[in-house]
Amino acid sequence: MNINTVKNNQAVETVKNRPGYWRQLRKDIIKDRWLYVLLFPGVIWYIIYRYLPMLGLSIAFFDFNIVKGISGSKFVGFEYFRYIFFEHRNFWQLVENTLAINVIKLVFYFPIPIVFAIMLNEIMSVKYKRTLQTLIYLPHFVSWVVFGSIIITFLSPSEGIVNQIIEAFGGKSIFFMSEPKYFRWIVVASDIWKEAGWGTIIYLAAITGIDPQLYEAAKIDSANKLQLIRHITIPCISETIVVMLLLDIGRIMNVGFEQIYVLANPTVYSTGDVISTYVHRIGIGNGRFSLTTAIGLFQSVIGFSLLVTCNAISKKSFDKSLW
Amino acid sequence: MKNHSGNIIKPEVDAIKIFSYTIMTIFAIMCLFPFYYIVVVSISDPQSVREGQLILWPKGFSLDAYKVTFQHARFYSSFQVSLIRTIIGTASGITLSSSLAYAVSRKYLRGRKFFTIFIVFTMLFNGGIIPTYLVVRYTGLIDTIWALILPNLMNTFNVVVLMNFFRSIPDEIEESAKIDGANDLIIFFRLMIPVAMPSIATITLFIAVYHWNALMDGILYINTPVKKPLQVYLNDIVVAGQTDDLFGDSSARWMPTLSLKTATIFASTLPILMVYPFLQRYFVKGIMVGSVKG
Repeated sequence: MNINTVKNNQAVETVKNRPGYWRQLRKDIIKDRWLYVLLFPGVIWYIIYRYLPMLGLSIAFFDFNIVKGISGSKFVGFEYFRYIFFEHRNFWQLVENTLAINVIKLVFYFPIPIVFAIMLNEIMSVKYKRTLQTLIYLPHFVSWVVFGSIIITFLSPSEGIVNQIIEAFGGKSIFFMSEPKYFRWIVVASDIWKEAGWGTIIYLAAITGIDPQLYEAAKIDSANKLQLIRHITIPCISETIVVMLLLDIGRIMNVGFEQIYVLANPTVYSTGDVISTYVHRIGIGNGRFSLTTAIGLFQSVIGFSLLVTCNAISKKSFDKSLW
Repeated sequence: MKNHSGNIIKPEVDAIKIFSYTIMTIFAIMCLFPFYYIVVVSISDPQSVREGQLILWPKGFSLDAYKVTFQHARFYSSFQVSLIRTIIGTASGITLSSSLAYAVSRKYLRGRKFFTIFIVFTMLFNGGIIPTYLVVRYTGLIDTIWALILPNLMNTFNVVVLMNFFRSIPDEIEESAKIDGANDLIIFFRLMIPVAMPSIATITLFIAVYHWNALMDGILYINTPVKKPLQVYLNDIVVAGQTDDLFGDSSARWMPTLSLKTATIFASTLPILMVYPFLQRYFVKGIMVGSVKG
């Protein structure tokens, strides 16, 4: 109970005989028992809802039957992987769509929060800065259904504001949401609109941490604004940038399900159907559990390996890493 | 200090500053505009909306669209489902996340390294949609509100932010309490939670917003229409355009879909818009201490 008694007991014990590993372990667990009480429910939850599904990935190697369960299903080895790699009609299209959206995001989305954070940092009036922050964080807090339906409404050919403007200037209205060539760009643009403001928060935190003396010293050397940004701000937040970049690369096989689910419709599946929406539609909709689990496992393994590889490269070449 | 070069750093009219002000102001207006537009269309006279006029400010005034929205029984059932899942999910989620994070943040805890890896690993690798669905199904949660609460009760990112925050609290607080004979439960609930309040409040907001906005679990796990959460209802009405039963009432038949959609969107986003300004100043502080190295 009392920390002093525990300490005394330990001391006595050590004098008598060196406690073995197990004994010490037992004692530590008893000493910290309330901490383990706090830990326990969370760990159980992680086992059920995060680790059990990982075991469940094994159904990719079975001809899984939901009624009979895994023990009543036939083991088929890599059959499903062979099928998706070599015979499946749209698997590679799904991979391409997923990668294409994420590559466009990396090029056009990724730098924006960094630039915005630096710009926000230029704004001197605290009140105005706070107002701007309040406004640009706002879209992050509404759902993709709401934001996506606003995008769809804006781009609607009959009642949408964008087409009303196009028509007002004598143009012809465009069916944005049913044109495959626009879809990926709409996804990335709407993501920038919704999330780029919120994305600044992590870089702003990093900028706040920079020692002001660095700027003072540079100013004495009569550095101009651009030089300050280039030679102080950016190097000082480079660690954060690398970490965020690594995380994004690790997610390159994932596109948020909800965004695509809301924005996509069958006319744009050729460019817009991604792994998660397909897995949902075919896996749960058509009950093809093993097939879609194999696709999901492929996605997870690629994401995991990319993250580990990029992290190792980054650790070696810039001495910056996630763990 | 800077006197001899003071003339150089004199606030020259600086292009970067002007550029920053302009761009950030435009972007902030862009972020506000969708909400403005939704409100304006939803309260405009449905007749002008119907004529397809370009609406940038209210044309006439009418709350008819809201009347139709609030007449729909499914709006209430889904609103209720979302409210319940948000309250239960947030309360239990923040309790579980912070107690787990606190325990793992103690440096002397046996197995601390193992538990940290155990938690963080789930950020790097996961079972994915189908295996998680099967776990939910085999545990009998399909078509119950628990399917919306339990599978995403915790989010590893949130746990890590809390963990980092607890780690940053000086050890002296805990040590002196232990000398006074307090056990870890008392220390956690009486001392640590108040100290970690900025961080806990932030994460609570994140969890609540997650539950209110979540769409995917409602689609995956809920089949009965009246048990579906608000976002699924919204998706059915606004995106999939299943407005037929809204029009069941003859008085609504003439109502343009755009008025109805915008009214439904605004009514379901209102709870977030209402709490947002109050919690907003909290989270800037809360997340900055906790995060950086995720």
